[in-house]
Amino acid sequence: MSKTLEQKNTRYLLLWLPVVLLLGSVLFFVMLNMHANHTQEKLLELKQLNVFNAFTAQPASMATHIRGEYSLDEGTVLPKELLDKSRDTSMTYTDKGGKINFRELTRQYVLNGKTYQLTTYVSSNEFSHLTIKVFATEALVFVFLLLAIVVINRKSSRLLWRPFYSTLKKAGEYDVVRNQSIQLEQQTGIAEFNQLNSELTYLVEKVNKAYSNQKNFVENASHEIQTPLAIIRSKLDLLINESGLTEKSAALLGEITEASERLSQMNKSLLLLAKIDNNQFPEKHKINVSELLENILNNYQEHYEAFPSLTRSILPGVYIMANPALAEILIGNLVKNAVVHNLPGGYIKVHLDQTLLSIENTGKEIAERPEQLFERFRKGNADSKTTGLGLALVKQVTQLYEMGLLYEYENGIHRVTVAFNLR
Amino acid sequence: MKLLVIEDEASLLKSIIDYFTQEDFRCEAASTFEEGIKKAADFQYDCIILDINLPGGSGLQLLEYLRVHKKNEGVIIISARNSLDDKIAGLDLGADDYLTKPFHLSELYSRVKALIRRKYASGSSVIEFGKLKLDLLLKTVTYSGQTLLLTKNEYELLLFLLTNKNRVVSRQAIAEHIYGEQTDNLASFDFVYSHIKNLKRKLKERGCEDLLQTVYGLGYKLSV
Repeated sequence: MSKTLEQKNTRYLLLWLPVVLLLGSVLFFVMLNMHANHTQEKLLELKQLNVFNAFTAQPASMATHIRGEYSLDEGTVLPKELLDKSRDTSMTYTDKGGKINFRELTRQYVLNGKTYQLTTYVSSNEFSHLTIKVFATEALVFVFLLLAIVVINRKSSRLLWRPFYSTLKKAGEYDVVRNQSIQLEQQTGIAEFNQLNSELTYLVEKVNKAYSNQKNFVENASHEIQTPLAIIRSKLDLLINESGLTEKSAALLGEITEASERLSQMNKSLLLLAKIDNNQFPEKHKINVSELLENILNNYQEHYEAFPSLTRSILPGVYIMANPALAEILIGNLVKNAVVHNLPGGYIKVHLDQTLLSIENTGKEIAERPEQLFERFRKGNADSKTTGLGLALVKQVTQLYEMGLLYEYENGIHRVTVAFNLR
Repeated sequence: MKLLVIEDEASLLKSIIDYFTQEDFRCEAASTFEEGIKKAADFQYDCIILDINLPGGSGLQLLEYLRVHKKNEGVIIISARNSLDDKIAGLDLGADDYLTKPFHLSELYSRVKALIRRKYASGSSVIEFGKLKLDLLLKTVTYSGQTLLLTKNEYELLLFLLTNKNRVVSRQAIAEHIYGEQTDNLASFDFVYSHIKNLKRKLKERGCEDLLQTVYGLGYKLSV
């Protein structure tokens, strides 16, 4: 699963920063101990110097033992290998209620021909306490640092990526058909984002231009095709009235007429599609869908001898806001579709209420996927009586008015449902 | 009847002239804006067939000129631009009818005839063809005095065939005439077929056997 930039960033930080900080802490602890030991050594040395200097000045009056401070012994008490090296030791202090750890150092001196061994003591409890306190403080600082880094990082990346998210939002709102404008900041303060926005703006301009060229092309082409079609039609009208037409040539003419008719139907539908695309049906009226549907059904029933058996459940007084011509195209094409693609002895069920119109009819199974059925020039079967543009028109109109369009097929039953835009 | 056809597409112009000449119209042709203005200004016609896109100007301007100069010929606009605005503009400027290219000549002819009937209220309102009588005002049809009960569509169909009598009218032209310029109305050819069948049956019931003829795979024809 994909995570957001911010989540990803925080995750990395939380994964690696503690590791780094932990290693840092260990290093810090080791160094701290080393320094503490060194300081203890220095203190022991200093005490040696002070005590023995004092003893040299007044050998008789000075105490040879002060507990926890030093002890001066005549003669060689300790073996040679223990001298000059600091050692750990502990002493029991009853008044303090326990043992106290010390560091001790013994050195051998010779004064007036006599050998002395001087041992100095420095409490190591204080040092270890200090070390622990310093380390604890450091650990606290590190945890605070970790939190601060994560928070600052989140804040700053949010700030840094803000132009990116704004671009993303606007790109999401862009639609080549419905919302062609895209206003991106040209100066975000970040070079990469400036570049992204200018590239995106350029791309969108190109897409818009290509789209409008394509739309205009279809419309212009359709217009241009109409004149030659008009000529062909007029010549055919004259030709079929020629005297001395043989049955064979009449049959040929019939086929030409039919083909030219298909061509002009297609052309008309294409032109209509282009016009809907180009928003040339802007005016909207309150349309009584119930009445329109009844009229169209009655018309078809009247005109079509083999009209399938019809079941209607039409709620009267259903209104939508639409262009009258487009509303008629929408409903007319749906009804026509249900009639033309029906089977002998089949049925049509029409249902209309405030929210939706559904038309159900029996028919052959079709190989196409449902969503392809609404594309231009898609045909469920190779019936020459259809242009393959009827359902494309339906789709175009429903898109224009933001209506829902659903096609279902199950066990020889086709159902098209149009859900009205209730806003 | 005098007719002026203003159309820049020579081939289409010729077709229209041919068709109407065969129907005993006296036709004048113009293929540019200038020529059209000149002919329209100099002569009086019963009807003008006017294309919108003309070299030298727009058909709509020509229409304006006619109205400014109080010429009250009936005008039918033929245009490749099937735009509602054009249609409204044309009709606002006083055009009587509007037909989108491509059209059938039989349709254009029936529009011209209807226009002339409306505009000049000339002649009787009854069209007679042999024993067949069609009353345009009462919308009734009789054959040898016997009334034929026709549906609205059958009546329209018969009127269309009567207007174009003695001519083969293609099924496509009939479909377009009855159902208008609905898109994707190829299925309506079947409707035409069933209307023709019913009409034939009703005529036959009144003893009229072969007034309405089917011409190969082409279309239908009313002829004695």
